[in-house]
Amino acid sequence: MSAAPTVCPRCAHDGIEHVHSSPVPGVWEVLQCARCLYMWRTSEPARRTDRDAYPAGFRMTAEDIAAATEVPTVPPLRPTA
Amino acid sequence: MPYDDLRGFLTALEDAGQLLRITDEVRPEPDIAAAANAAPRLGDAAPALYFDNVRGFTHARIAMNVHGSWANHALALGLPKETPAKEQVAQFIRRWDDFPVAPEWREDPPWAENTLEGDDVDIFEVLPLIRLNDGDGGFYIDKAAVVSKDPDDPENSGKQNVGVYRIEVKGKRKLALQPVPVHDIALHLRTAEERGEDLPVAITLGNDPVISIAASTPMKYEENEYELAGVLRGAPAPISRAPLTGLPVPWGSEVVIEGVIEGRKREIEGPFGEFTGHYSGGRSMPVIRIDRISYRTDPVFEHLYLGMPWTECDYLIAANTAVPLYKQLKADFPEVQAVNASYTHGLVVIVSTKKRYGGFAKAVGLRVLTTPHGLGYASTVIVVDEDVDPFDLPQVMWALSTKMNPAGDLIRIPNLPVVELAPQAQTPGVVDKLVVDATTPVGADRRGNYGTPVHDLPETAEWLTRLQALAARR
Repeated sequence: MSAAPTVCPRCAHDGIEHVHSSPVPGVWEVLQCARCLYMWRTSEPARRTDRDAYPAGFRMTAEDIAAATEVPTVPPLRPTA
Repeated sequence: MPYDDLRGFLTALEDAGQLLRITDEVRPEPDIAAAANAAPRLGDAAPALYFDNVRGFTHARIAMNVHGSWANHALALGLPKETPAKEQVAQFIRRWDDFPVAPEWREDPPWAENTLEGDDVDIFEVLPLIRLNDGDGGFYIDKAAVVSKDPDDPENSGKQNVGVYRIEVKGKRKLALQPVPVHDIALHLRTAEERGEDLPVAITLGNDPVISIAASTPMKYEENEYELAGVLRGAPAPISRAPLTGLPVPWGSEVVIEGVIEGRKREIEGPFGEFTGHYSGGRSMPVIRIDRISYRTDPVFEHLYLGMPWTECDYLIAANTAVPLYKQLKADFPEVQAVNASYTHGLVVIVSTKKRYGGFAKAVGLRVLTTPHGLGYASTVIVVDEDVDPFDLPQVMWALSTKMNPAGDLIRIPNLPVVELAPQAQTPGVVDKLVVDATTPVGADRRGNYGTPVHDLPETAEWLTRLQALAARR
């Protein structure tokens, strides 16, 4: 298994949280970015786990997150609620 | 003999030579998704795939491509695996005539064997989750039947919903769900959010094969999916009460996840490679808090690969998209002969119809756009004559080649609703729609030169039967 990543492959944020370890010890970990919530397994190919190899078309920025469309939109509360 | 759970169906698939066990060790990614991506390319008799030797796991059992061919779809409906797609649709239509068949409550569901509750919930301890496409934002659950009720009318079993929606795993007890606005769960969530409430949900995974078909059928709002499952099975669907929410869930599920969609909350979700063969972008979507997971020991994780069509998704939602459209059109227009909505969940719909009078075919085509499914999907409707088989694309192309004159046969309607996932829309959710009239004009419509058609020789049908019999004996 390669060294633990220091930044999110998708958004380059440095806050990475540990989610789960392989039932067979030491084979892989599941990690998650604290900002863009990207979640991956450390045993996946570099194109999914390594910032340098992560395709430009799939990258995400803080601006992308802030501008993400709401689906569905939150409706107004009913007057009686 | 209907199947009461997924395991019974997997055994039947194996007995029919329609399940392939991958016994060599595989990587969770990208191997399992890549294999499921490839499987439908084996053709109309492609098998389901079963993995139980997955690197890093000790008890993983993963079933992929369970509905991923016409052969498997036929077996799910209890038909011979050689049944052609068109005949499967016809059989589906005949069974729907007996709708509804009420479900039956059954005790001691196998998923009651094990339970995790509250802070002990960790979905990764229960399911061998795997990732699908390169650009996906995380681990997804995309073949679960999600149960919810109308918060304004919770005792109305017709308004209850069982549907398949994309679900992203965002933490040990946190999920995201995509309630497409044209789908029933979006109506439930909207009502709950207007009331300032959470929406209780039960997410059921690893179901008998008919539950997956019924849950992905675009039924009317007040039609009950379990009652459709009953007619498709030829026996009442067995259901049990989920222990925390009280929601009716399949008796035979491998896993039942209960919790709530947290009202008035949105969070970044996706992207995800979708049924359109394109990724949805990252969007801000509802969040689910898991409160309880019930599961069979060593559950089988049934998962679905979707991407560039055709994949399992296309087989799962081909017949069951065509049939309700046919039923709804036929109710108003008995002249309608057949509907093929097999392509990308009915973004294209092909209808064959007799003509009552000039202009009638265009009216039928327009009606497709206002059916419940048509509202959010049908973007292009092709109408053909009654003797053109919509399931025979060379015949449809012949009709387009010879019957359609753009001068009068294209009706374009601007700014109609469509699922936000439809990539052709300039503004997501709104698109221009097209009705193509590829029928032979009848009076008072006198366009074209159709006086001398060539017909099959009178003996051709007899010879076709004879040749088929001879060919089958080779």
